[in-house]
Amino acid sequence: MFLRLPASLHYPITVTSLLKQPGDPVQRDEALFWYVYQTIVTEGDGLGNKVEVKRSFPTKFESTVDGEIVRWNVTKGDVIDEPVDVVEIDEPCAHEVQFGGLCAECGKDMTEATYNTEVMDSMRAPIKMVHDNTTLTVSEREATRVEEDAKRRLLASRKLSLVVDLDQTIIHATVDPTVGEWMEDKDNPNHQYLNDVRAFQLVDDGPGMRGCWYYIKLRPGLQQFLENVAKIYELHIYTMGTRAYAQSIANIVDPDRTLFGDRILSRDESGSLTAKNLQRLFPVDTKMVVIIDDRGDVWRWNPNLIKVSPYDFFVGIGDINSSFLPKKQELENPNKPIAAKAAAAAAATDNTPPEHHVNGTTIKPELGGISALEQLVTMGGGDNPRLLQEQATAQEETIMHQVEDRPLLQKQKELDAEDEAADRPDSSQSVDESQDLSRQHRHHLLEDNDRELYLLQERLQQVHRNFYEEYDRKRSRSLGGRVAALRGEKTQVKEKDVDLKLVPDVKDVMPQIKRQVLGGVVMVFSGVLPLGTDMQNADISLWAKSFGAVLAPKITSRTTHLVAGRNRTAKVREATRYLKIKIVTTQWLVDSLTQWKRLDETPYLLPVHPDDRGEPISPDSKEAAESAWLSTTDDETKEFWTEDEGEGMSESTNEIFKSTGLTEVSPIGYDADQQAAVHEELKEFLGSDDESESETEAPGSEQQQPPVTPSKKRKRGDTDEEGDEEDQDQDQDIVEEKDQLSTVPTGGEGGEKTSDAHASAGGGSRLAQRIRRSYERSTSLKEVATASSSSPGRTTTTITTPSSAMDVTDTPTPDDGDGGGGGDDEERPDPGAASVTYPEDEDDELEREMLAALEDGDYDEMAEGKIAAENG
Amino acid sequence: MFFLKEETKVISLHPSYFGPSVREYLINRLNEEEEGRCTGDHFVICVMDMVDIGEGRVIPGSGAAEYTIKYRAIIWKPFRGETVDAIVTSVKPTGIFTLAGPLSVFIARKNIPSDIKWEPNTVPPQYTDHADQVIEKGTSLRLKILGVKPDVAAINAIGTIKEDYLGPL
Repeated sequence: MFLRLPASLHYPITVTSLLKQPGDPVQRDEALFWYVYQTIVTEGDGLGNKVEVKRSFPTKFESTVDGEIVRWNVTKGDVIDEPVDVVEIDEPCAHEVQFGGLCAECGKDMTEATYNTEVMDSMRAPIKMVHDNTTLTVSEREATRVEEDAKRRLLASRKLSLVVDLDQTIIHATVDPTVGEWMEDKDNPNHQYLNDVRAFQLVDDGPGMRGCWYYIKLRPGLQQFLENVAKIYELHIYTMGTRAYAQSIANIVDPDRTLFGDRILSRDESGSLTAKNLQRLFPVDTKMVVIIDDRGDVWRWNPNLIKVSPYDFFVGIGDINSSFLPKKQELENPNKPIAAKAAAAAAATDNTPPEHHVNGTTIKPELGGISALEQLVTMGGGDNPRLLQEQATAQEETIMHQVEDRPLLQKQKELDAEDEAADRPDSSQSVDESQDLSRQHRHHLLEDNDRELYLLQERLQQVHRNFYEEYDRKRSRSLGGRVAALRGEKTQVKEKDVDLKLVPDVKDVMPQIKRQVLGGVVMVFSGVLPLGTDMQNADISLWAKSFGAVLAPKITSRTTHLVAGRNRTAKVREATRYLKIKIVTTQWLVDSLTQWKRLDETPYLLPVHPDDRGEPISPDSKEAAESAWLSTTDDETKEFWTEDEGEGMSESTNEIFKSTGLTEVSPIGYDADQQAAVHEELKEFLGSDDESESETEAPGSEQQQPPVTPSKKRKRGDTDEEGDEEDQDQDQDIVEEKDQLSTVPTGGEGGEKTSDAHASAGGGSRLAQRIRRSYERSTSLKEVATASSSSPGRTTTTITTPSSAMDVTDTPTPDDGDGGGGGDDEERPDPGAASVTYPEDEDDELEREMLAALEDGDYDEMAEGKIAAENG
Repeated sequence: MFFLKEETKVISLHPSYFGPSVREYLINRLNEEEEGRCTGDHFVICVMDMVDIGEGRVIPGSGAAEYTIKYRAIIWKPFRGETVDAIVTSVKPTGIFTLAGPLSVFIARKNIPSDIKWEPNTVPPQYTDHADQVIEKGTSLRLKILGVKPDVAAINAIGTIKEDYLGPL
């Protein structure tokens, strides 16, 4: 190696003599050459005066490595001005493989440091290469060599590498002891689904949970999947579980170790507890690596990743090893068997208007709101030991909680309770009999109908096929060229290197396949992500974008799909005006992404409420152009204010300027009706942080309250129990959501409610009166709608009914720009059909909150009473 | 290399253990705590006998008693150049991981005879010269220690089988 001068010398230096000749052996810290440097020193002149003088000092330069001198780059008398390589020394051992601080080849201690040490020898081998051992490190060169060997081997056997995640990807694990009991209990409705659940005990898995039993459910078709995939991929396990856990799982899925061998990487060796890093396994290059994982964020959406939909067999358990990971952005999976069943059951018993259940999907805006900031904080905190400690404790607690709380048992109990509740009213039998009956058809909590692995296998095969097609193409081309150029046996020697250069990159091959899936799709989200989420960087968005979809913040003439999380949003209304925009449910997107296919939209089309159908605009009309480019229509303006799903600030300002400028000057589509609406909107916007919202929602909710509650109860009575559970789920969610909200809006709402109560009672504070007056003034149209929707003809209700009922009153005159404003509400032909107008997401939040408050009758009354008392 | 070494250890005992069987208790404690321990310098293999169990002294303020025990133990201190037998725990393209009793020894690829080659396609993967020598997980090896590095509670060692009479047994 070349010995380089350190930067810390007093340059310039002059070499005065070389002490070693080429061929001489040198020891570490042995002098190599003398040199002279100059520096300014302070000297006393013997009389107490201090003088600064420039002096030259001779010094020797010492070697930092052992070896034999090969060649000098400097000669006597050279002046060196900057760090250069002075001498080449041939080392007997380059310490390229190190084990626990020792060079694995010569046995020297690598952690030794002397006064002369510039860089520790241990830095020569910084790469951890081995799956199951962190004490072994190698140098970059060695890593490259090993990896190239591996690559050649893979190419020869026409395989790729596949990194497999465990939890929720190929298995689902829980520590809930209920599973063990159910497995014993033959009468349990879940028993038959637990046949192939395996269990193991981890004795030393940290303190506090010694001897904890783990129950493992293999994803359906796993064995077949692994065997098939192992033919074309070399499999690696990469899990966030502990080593012992990973080993135990490997024992289950691969008892004779033919599939994974010992290529298992656990969090003990991972090096990071918050993110997975492909470089840990493939330090040099990742051209031939494919990852399957249920979480994209831990891989930072690595292009090698195939995201699979999480396997959630033990309902509500989640990933038991995810405490260290950033929280998951939970996009509600409407395909959950329970939800689907509930929907079907509800549809059957309740003759629910079909528009709420599309393809077994409940239209339910339910999202776990985790801010991007929180994610960043969790991600960034990976190195903080205290945080890690906390997280370790958190993990332990999660495990303990699961053992103690038995979430599965609770859920089943709920389910049973629903069962009984459902049975009781229509069976006039004795209690005992009805219990027997209910036991017979007790509903089971667990479902085993996951098909993901079959799809996944196809996709992996496809990637493999494309990869090797590409490789063959490149290879035959270059071979032909080379044969023409060279001929003869010489080529054989070089062939290996050429091979490696020709290897295509999975990072290119896979996105190519993926991008065809949703290529050309320009989609707009509506009601998919919670407010305030960074729309472009949310999990679902990144996932969709990796498939070639373009995500636009708002509807333009270029938009092809509107992905609606729920019905009747302003965007849905707007999208109806464009004939070519397909309004689909979120499920379409999720299914397309998981199946790698642009699915036919027809089964996923969102049934648009007739009232929402705007006047179609042909793509080439003047209006279309305007709405696309200038956003002059009220609709656009309105949407701008209300649906702020991630529009950039600069864009917003621009928009404001445009819209205001145009509303003042342009006469287009700006009649008195709309002017009123605009005013109202403006008022609402300006006053949004005080009482202004109450003017729209307050009296309505007061009037609506009586019809809502009984209808809800009536439904409880005759719905299938799962419908009820769904209900409860939703309620719970609402409550949770409410909890997430800051206390300020909640308090404000409470205040409003109180004032409503007063207002309607005729008395009340001055504020309430003012609110009422303003309400009467601004939304007189509303009352018509309220009256019609609260009419006794309203018999059929659905899950969303309460919120819809409120919507009617909450809506601040939604106008479509050309379809006369509040007329929409007035003309609604079927009041029972959930007339869900979601004018703005903020309102939705409030509604849900209020709904929760309504549901929770006791609390509501109490709270109201209390606040009333406070207000006098 | 193995040594018989005399050592002392201070054990403090909670008052609830005071009684006629305090001696047995102390011996048990000593065996439990010492045997199999790695000091970073050597491994304590076995406690042979107690030379002297001193009189217990009650520590003022806590009530616990301190016993200073002198005992003899067989210890093993691995040295550079020592030849040991080990069992292979895993084989990698970079080398072989083995365990010689409590000591983990790594044999780098350079220290494996050049005729014994890495063979990843077998299950499990192995090093083999395609004749009678096969090194895979579980194989017994005779190796020579090239270097020893003490750590806080472990010792890492480097070994070689690239010499006469070394290799799979």
